[in-house]
Amino acid sequence: MRDLGKAPSEDDRPLIERVRKGDQDAARTLYERYFDRIYNYVYARLGRVEDAEDLAIDTMTRSLTRLDLFQDQGVGFSSWVYRIAHNATIDHYRRSGKVTLVPLENAILPQTVDPAEVALEQLSNEDLRAALRDLTDEQQQVLILRFFQDLTAAQVADIMGKSVGAVQALQHRALGSLERALQGRAAN
Amino acid sequence: MPEARRLEALAERLRAVDPIAPSPGAKIRGWNLVLAGVTQSATRRPRVSVTRLVLAAAAAGVLLVAGALAASADSLPDSALYPLKGAWEHVRGTLAFSPSDKLAFHLELSQTRLAEAEAMIARHRIDLAGRALDALDNELDDAAQLVQTAKQNDLAAAADMESRLRQAIATHELQLSGLQGQVTNPTALDAISRARDRAVAALQAAEKGPNGKNGNPSPSPNDGRSSGGEPATSPHPTPKH
Repeated sequence: MRDLGKAPSEDDRPLIERVRKGDQDAARTLYERYFDRIYNYVYARLGRVEDAEDLAIDTMTRSLTRLDLFQDQGVGFSSWVYRIAHNATIDHYRRSGKVTLVPLENAILPQTVDPAEVALEQLSNEDLRAALRDLTDEQQQVLILRFFQDLTAAQVADIMGKSVGAVQALQHRALGSLERALQGRAAN
Repeated sequence: MPEARRLEALAERLRAVDPIAPSPGAKIRGWNLVLAGVTQSATRRPRVSVTRLVLAAAAAGVLLVAGALAASADSLPDSALYPLKGAWEHVRGTLAFSPSDKLAFHLELSQTRLAEAEAMIARHRIDLAGRALDALDNELDDAAQLVQTAKQNDLAAAADMESRLRQAIATHELQLSGLQGQVTNPTALDAISRARDRAVAALQAAEKGPNGKNGNPSPSPNDGRSSGGEPATSPHPTPKH
């Protein structure tokens, strides 16, 4: 059973106002609400505990100490936090020189394995995480947010700045790419 | 297996991936940083958007200028807002394009100057009244110049403009002669007399054609003088005191 704490919600707003006035209890509530989620999001993207911890800490520090930069105009606080985490991840990729991958739906993959032969129940969580990191940035983002973070398509659309329809289409393509990535790994 | 079912199964498998718990040390480290930052940021002054400040200042400026302009519209020469009135009149003057509009503008200003002169005489500000009368005659000179120029281009329009000028000067003449009968200050009397002379001279200038010819033989508003020549005596004798 997934347990990432209380889901992002509308009741962030009064807490944010209290944090702006220096209320440490409100800051603690928001920190507890988001830290594990952000850590899991970043870990799913990077796959390294140390890097994920550093980026999660950095994201939460930026989110809660720079609330003067957050303006609740259409984008909720949770979306803002995820965007900070996403940008921190992209910065990390740039610093480490990671090359952006070619979208897998365009890549030529070995066809020696029948898709039906990919036994999902035999895949370890780490196999899935590793295959996920072979996808493009947007594909990773949508699958992590939708299935690891249990966010709705509307919430993901808000975070990614896309329409719900675009998120659903992206999700479909991303699952297809993940399936091919798993086939490729099985073939090797 | 159909693709839709395969992808749905894959999605379910992703949902079943357990989250990773961060180490307690990392969480404490992060909270300490947040705590320090929250305390510090609460004591910082809130950031004020420069754009908002500029927009607010601009809006305040527009309101201030608009209010001052409205207040200055009826100001008199002894008012602090009077220079603003002159500046606004200058702006309005630049917005009059046709000769007819320009004439109307100068005639309106001449009437305004005359009203100011009357008010200043009533307040015993003879110096300011004299300046207002000088300004009145300057407006009439400008109006006469417009009529002269129009005669070079459009005789019908020029005739209409000359008629309007003559009517305005006749009205002024009535007001000035009435005013002259009410004042006793010699300086004021002298200023009024000079203003009446200049008004008549302006009309005579307008009546002359562009080459100095008399283009219109119609009589001037003053009785006792010819339209093209100088009066033999002062047309508006100063009353005896």
